Formats: sequence, structure tokens, C-alpha cells
Amino acid sequence: MIGRDKIISRLKETLELNLGDQSEAVFLGSESHLTRYANSTIHQNVSETQTKVYFRVVTDQKIGVAATNSLSKTDLRKAYKMAAKIAKVQKPNPDFVSLPGPSDYAQLDTYHEKTARFTPRQRAAKVRTIINRAAKKDCMVAGSLSTGCGEIAVVNSKGVAAYHPLSSAAINLIAMKENSSGYAEGLARNIDEIDFSKIATTAITKAVKCKDPEELTAGDYEVILEPAAVGSIFEWVNYIGFGSKAFQENTSFMSGRIGEQVTGENLTIYDDGTDTSAIAFPFDFEGVPKRRVDLLTHGVARGVVYDSMSAHRDDTQSTGHSLTPDATGEGGIALNLFIAPGQSNLKEMISNVENGLLVTRFHYINGFINTPQAVLTGMTRDGLMRIKNGRLRGGVKNLRFTDSMLRAFGTIKAISAERELINAWWDSLGCIAAPAMHLGSFKFTGQTSF
Amino acid sequence: MIDRLKDAAEFLRSKGVTYGDVRYVHTTREAIQLTNDTVDTLTNDVDQGFGIRVLMDGAWGFASSAVCTAGEMRKVANRAIQIAKASALTKREDVILAEQEPVKGTFETPFDTDPFRVSLSKKVKVLAKVNSILKKNPKVRVAESTMDFIRTRKIFVSTDGAEIDQTITESGAGYTCTAVGDGEVQRRSYPNSHRGDWGTAGYEFIERMDLVGHAERVREEAIELLTAPPCPSGERTIIINGSQMALQVHESCGHPVELDRVLGTEISLAGGSFLTLDKMGGFRYGAPIVTIVGDATVHGGLGSFGFDDEGVPAQRFDIVRDGIFVGYLTSRETAPRVNQRSNGTMRADGWNRVPLIRMTNINLEPGDAELDALMADSDGALFLDTNKSWSIDDQRLNFQFGLEAAWEIKGGKKGQIYKNPLYTGITPQFWNSCDAICNRNHWHIWGVPNCGKGEPMQTSRVAHGAAPARFHNVTVGVSQ
Repeated sequence: MIGRDKIISRLKETLELNLGDQSEAVFLGSESHLTRYANSTIHQNVSETQTKVYFRVVTDQKIGVAATNSLSKTDLRKAYKMAAKIAKVQKPNPDFVSLPGPSDYAQLDTYHEKTARFTPRQRAAKVRTIINRAAKKDCMVAGSLSTGCGEIAVVNSKGVAAYHPLSSAAINLIAMKENSSGYAEGLARNIDEIDFSKIATTAITKAVKCKDPEELTAGDYEVILEPAAVGSIFEWVNYIGFGSKAFQENTSFMSGRIGEQVTGENLTIYDDGTDTSAIAFPFDFEGVPKRRVDLLTHGVARGVVYDSMSAHRDDTQSTGHSLTPDATGEGGIALNLFIAPGQSNLKEMISNVENGLLVTRFHYINGFINTPQAVLTGMTRDGLMRIKNGRLRGGVKNLRFTDSMLRAFGTIKAISAERELINAWWDSLGCIAAPAMHLGSFKFTGQTSF
Repeated sequence: MIDRLKDAAEFLRSKGVTYGDVRYVHTTREAIQLTNDTVDTLTNDVDQGFGIRVLMDGAWGFASSAVCTAGEMRKVANRAIQIAKASALTKREDVILAEQEPVKGTFETPFDTDPFRVSLSKKVKVLAKVNSILKKNPKVRVAESTMDFIRTRKIFVSTDGAEIDQTITESGAGYTCTAVGDGEVQRRSYPNSHRGDWGTAGYEFIERMDLVGHAERVREEAIELLTAPPCPSGERTIIINGSQMALQVHESCGHPVELDRVLGTEISLAGGSFLTLDKMGGFRYGAPIVTIVGDATVHGGLGSFGFDDEGVPAQRFDIVRDGIFVGYLTSRETAPRVNQRSNGTMRADGWNRVPLIRMTNINLEPGDAELDALMADSDGALFLDTNKSWSIDDQRLNFQFGLEAAWEIKGGKKGQIYKNPLYTGITPQFWNSCDAICNRNHWHIWGVPNCGKGEPMQTSRVAHGAAPARFHNVTVGVSQ
């Protein structure tokens, strides 16, 4: 960790060259450590210290971006000058109005020293405990345990000087027997908030219960999706639907449908980067404070998230969802998704299913098939289970689903009160707070042999 | 720099490591993206650092830093040693590396025109012209075109005595036209979707694409798809065009032959493989006309290089020969499991990542069919072009691909166009249904710039030589 004062002063010092009408410097620093295990042994164990500084220079609405991972004065100035040089050959971008001015940011507790300083030996000890527990049930385990910390800062020529530190810890765990597997995961800013024992128990128990899976034909099934399954679906639904780019390009299922019922009445989704019950962070990469955005309320499309340029196109304000300056073409992206809880629980949901399936998680989902209908495909993985007469009846060989999520989530019968934090591709910047869900109909279109 | 790396390797030797390597990587990237008439990405990114990998007490440790001073290298070396010692707490057996003669060598990607010496203005002008043609019809909502250029210098030094300096230059470009009408959204891309086609080459690679020359056709096909009927469902004979064949090879052959997956070490994210050790040498993967090779030595492929990130020279080797599965992609750690030496496929996504087994150029060898003759012999079949979506199970058996467009073949020509085609299958059944592969006239090495694997996630740039091929009894059109 470098610290606020040193980072801000180094960025300000560079911007004093004053090379454009407006200038911005975005700093990302991280110390990340990951212990990977498979076949019940640690096979990969890595540590990384990285920094990245992006410069954005705007002159007459012409925007240039350059980046470096060196913090030397010379290299920073070189990158800043390169951004200015690029801006000169650009065409004006009519969507650029101005870089933001200073704001007040939420005071969020996102950094925990113990998590930041967790050692390789401590990670190995956690993994060894899991390996030993799994061995007692004749299970092998695979997964990863990561810990680390980071700093993000945004400085611009309009007076923004934002800085915030963060830490994070995450584990994923697959327990395996000869022909079955189970899965569980954990994520937190503070490693003490991860219940390693519960995660191990969940994955191991599932692997044991799923042994000798039966074969089922593909078809339309009543399903219970556990939080990891729900999270992975909404990771894709978010990408194709809740960002400003897809919305404005008319490829989103939200395009032209604000105020309309697009899915089931009991589905409410919002984004809130300031809610510390999940993986919070107070501002985006333009230094705009993150604010809560209602995306779907009782199944009705309410809005999407914006960065400053895409907001200008829709004559609105940034919601604090910009990406880094090299990715401004992607528009705003929601990184702190919350799926509103219901009042049920997993046990109750299972008891209400006469003939259906419980899905632990999905693998290799793809959502580019038909984005206006939010058609997704993917495979089940690590714990597909049969439910008969209100009880779990053992494992099922994996199935492929292909379905419109607007249709499928129009059949929600129940949502759990408890939510889990599900890791997503954007990693330590946020997550998806997902409950378990009971759907009346979910279309499986193919089978595999394991 | 190489002297600092050699000092670090000497320091590792003095600490008694079984093996260690020090890898310095300096990367310059230039990315250009135009959306309609706006240049929304024009970025130059310079990144450098080093990674140290050590084998000590029979286990691996890896640490890395962006600060390339001698003092930092010793600090990071000590950290890697401590990490290796922590890894050893759970070891079941010592890691043993396959023998490898330490190489002292250099490699540089050959090119005609240095892409970093071509002006930004010239590059932007080409993409602006493409977008202006695509946008000529108001039904085209989004014209998005891209160019990417990457230069990577890697210096590799090992405690075994290897000293390698290589510089790889990569170029890529492409565009996508999105048409919208009556609630329908359809796309066509050129020369491929997902940021186009890439190669280890200079700007001449971009010029050969004739980006502007294809824009009008791409636009008209995107508009035609808006009113096209959905692709009919059922079991069909299909001809898959070259770029999609490349992805078919990637997902259903390239990944399952990675030996680290087979041995279970990628289970937690990417999964395992149905091509288990017992299948090597006897399993009928595909029809006798199917031969697939790994070839990092081929000129211009995005998976071409001089040496991998363990210092093993680039190689060509068989994976599927005459339909029989015969070989894996291996590393120094995994190769002894199949009584071999590494075939040089370990690559890392930058200085801050540990090398993993990655595809190089995994090529479906050309057959003997002429495309015109194959079309003439395929009345009623579907011709499928350009990937839109991809998904496959974690053992690489059940796959499903979505395509941008399909045509019914009538009288040897493309007839009725269909929207939203999908096809699905089980890998060995599918490859065994292949009865024709087009010849070298239709064969091209397609660059895939976005292959994800590992934790932390690494993105690798790989490639696949492929030509159009015909398959029978394939399930098509399972989407509603």
C-alpha cells in the first residue's frame, strides 16, 4: 500500500503540466495473493504487486488516453504527454461535456489490515484444514483462496482528488468423489467474515449426496437455483441488459421498455456501491460518487447505469458507474448488484417441489444468443440434484439449459430471505448479492454424460 | 536488464532452490475503437515488470513486481521462496520437471510494416471509412470497428542456464454491424466477430483484410437478417465456415488436450477433460479425415513464438492423427506423466502471471475439398457463418454454438438466409460425423485474442488454422 498522500500528490504533480483543456489521472494499485489447490494439494501459489495509472486528456472534446504501470516521475509524464498527443489526432466526441467536479463520498469501511496482510502460510493452513476435512469423507478438493488489498485514486483538473483503500478475500471450493462433486464459495472485504467451515461442509456434503447421479432427459423442469447459480445468471443478464451501452444500442431487453413489466412481479434488482453488506466502493473511475440505481422493481424496468458520456446521450446524469478511461466506450456497468430477498428459505422451497431439480451452479454461460429476450445457455455443474415429493433424492447428470431469462424469471415462486455474495468477473470492485430462487419453469435443452 | 535477471537467478541458486526462472516482460498496446462516427477508444498502454517462479521443497512459489530494480528482484525472489515453502505444507509428492536443455536464443516476429510506425490518423481513417459505409442504411444502429496492436518483449533467465530474449508483435482488426428493427437485433461481422482476426504480424496483416471492401456486404446481410425466418430446428447436414471451425477446434479440441486440465489442476474454474490419460493413442476422436496439430512454429499465427515461458523452443506435434487422439499440450511439470518432454506450450499473460499450458496454433489440417464442389454436393444442407455465442460443459463434451447467420444450400449456392442459428452436439460424435474438409485454398489461421483460463484469470492469444468443413446429423436450432 502506497497511501493517499503519496498517490494524490504524485498524480497532481504530473497533471500540473496542464496539457489539455481538462485532464484526469486514475490510479489502481493492488497487492494480490492467490493459493490454488487441486487433487487436494496446493499446486499454484502466486503473489503480485501491480500499479496502473491512466491519463485522459481532453482538448476541444477530443479525448486521448494513455497508461503506464510505472510510478516514476519520468514515466508518468511520458504517459500523460502520450495521452495529449493522442487527443490531438482524435475527432471531437460530442458526448463529452466535462470531467466531474469534486464531490463528497460515502465513508465506507472497505479495508481490513488482517486480510491485506494474510500470509501464504496462513492461506496454506486454511487450505490444509479443508483438505483434511474432505479426506475424512473420501473427497478430493480443488479451488482457490485469494487475499489482497488495493488502492484506487482519481485526480482531475476540475479539483477531484478521490482516494479509497480496499481489501478482499475469496474462496471457491469443489469437493469431488468418483462420479460426483459439490461446490461452495465465500467472498468478503474482511477474511474473518468468511465461514470456511460452513463452505467446506456444504461442498463436501453435496459431493457425497450426489454420488452415482441418475440420467434425466432434457425438458422443462421446476427448479431451485441456489445463490451461486442465480449470481452467475445475473452476471450475464447485467452485462447484456443493465449497462448504458446495450440500452442505448437497443440490444438490451431494457431498451425502450422503461416502465414496462419485463419479468416476474417478485423480482427486484438494484445496484448500490455504498452498501457495505456486500463488496462496496464509494466512487467510480471518473470520481463520481456511486449511488443506488433501481434496475428492475417488481419486474418493471426502471433504469440502467451510466457513466458521464453515456448519461449525456440520454440527457441525464452519471450514476457513478464508469469503467477505467481505456474502456469508456463500454458505457456504465453495474458492479454492485443486489437481488432483493424474499421470505422463504432453501428448506421450505425444496419442500414445495413435487418433481424438480436443484441447481448448485452453472458453467460457461453465454448470453449473446438473443439479447432482447435475454436468452442464455449454459451447463449445470457440481451438484445438480433431483427433488421428488419435497425431498432431495440424489444427484443428476449435468444438463444444458437454453432459455429466455425474462420468461424463466417470470415464473418465480419463492425467493430466499438469506443472500450470499457471489464473485463476478469484476472481482474486488463489487459482487452480486444473490438469494436462492424457486422457479416454476426452466428449460433444459441438452444432456451430457457425467 | 538481462544482467539483473541473471543476478536474480544466481541469487535463487544461492538460496538452494531446485529450479527457478526470472521473466521480464515489457508490453506496449495500442487500441482503437470507433463506434459509429466517434472514436471512443484511442489508447496507448505501456506495462512492464518481472515474475520469479521457484521450485523449492518440492513445491511451487511465484511472486512478481512492477519495480524492476536489483533490490526489488531479491525481495521478490525471497517472497517466491517463502510462498513455495508454504505450498509444500500440503504436498503429496514433489514436483518433478521434465529434462530440458537450457537454451540461449533470440526470436523476433517477422513483419513487413511496423504497426507502431503507422500513424494513428491513417488507422482511424480506415475504420472511419468502414463505419461510414456500414451506417449508410438507417437500420444500422451501431457500427463498431477496432484495431489492436501489441508488442511484447520477454527476457527469460533460468537457474538451469537458459537466456532467451524474444519480441512478439501482434496485429488485429475487425468490425461488427448491428441492425435494429421491429424489436429485432441482428449482427454481421468481418472478418470475424469478437474483435476480428489477429496474427503475429505487422500492419500488412490489416491491409490484407481489405476491411473497407467487405463493409457493404456485411451491412446488407445484417439488414437482411432482420426479416429472415428463424433457423429451422432438427437434425441437419451443415457446412461450417472457417472462422467458426476455428472456435469449434478451440473449444472441443484445444482445451480438452491441455494436460493440466486432464490432470485436474484447472478443475476449479475451467474444468477437466474427457480426454483422460487412458485415451491417448487409441481413442477415436473423429473421422479418419480429421487431423489436428499443435504448431507454434507456423509463420504469422497468433499462437506463434520462439520459446514458451519455460524456455522450451516452439514445436509442431500431432494431437489428432487420422481421427485418433495421439497427443496433449504439455509442460515441463506435466509431460513426465505421459513419458514425454515438454512440447512448449507454457505461456503467461504478462510478467505478473504464472505460465500455464495454453494453446499455440491448434490447427485442423486442410482436407481435399473445393468449397464450390462441396456446396454443390450438399443440397438442403445449412451453411453456418461467424460465431455469436459459445458454451461447453466442464469436461468439453456437450457444446452449443450460436452463429450470426445460416443459409440453406440450393443448387450449390447460398439460398434462403436464416437468423439465430444454433448447433449443438457431443464432441467425439460430432467430429466423427465430419466427411469433408476444404483444401488449403480455403484454409486460414484465425486469431483468437481472448482465451480465458486460470486463477487469477489469464487471457491468452491463440490461433487455429481451419477451413470450411461438413458434418452430418447435427442438431440445429434449439433456441426458441
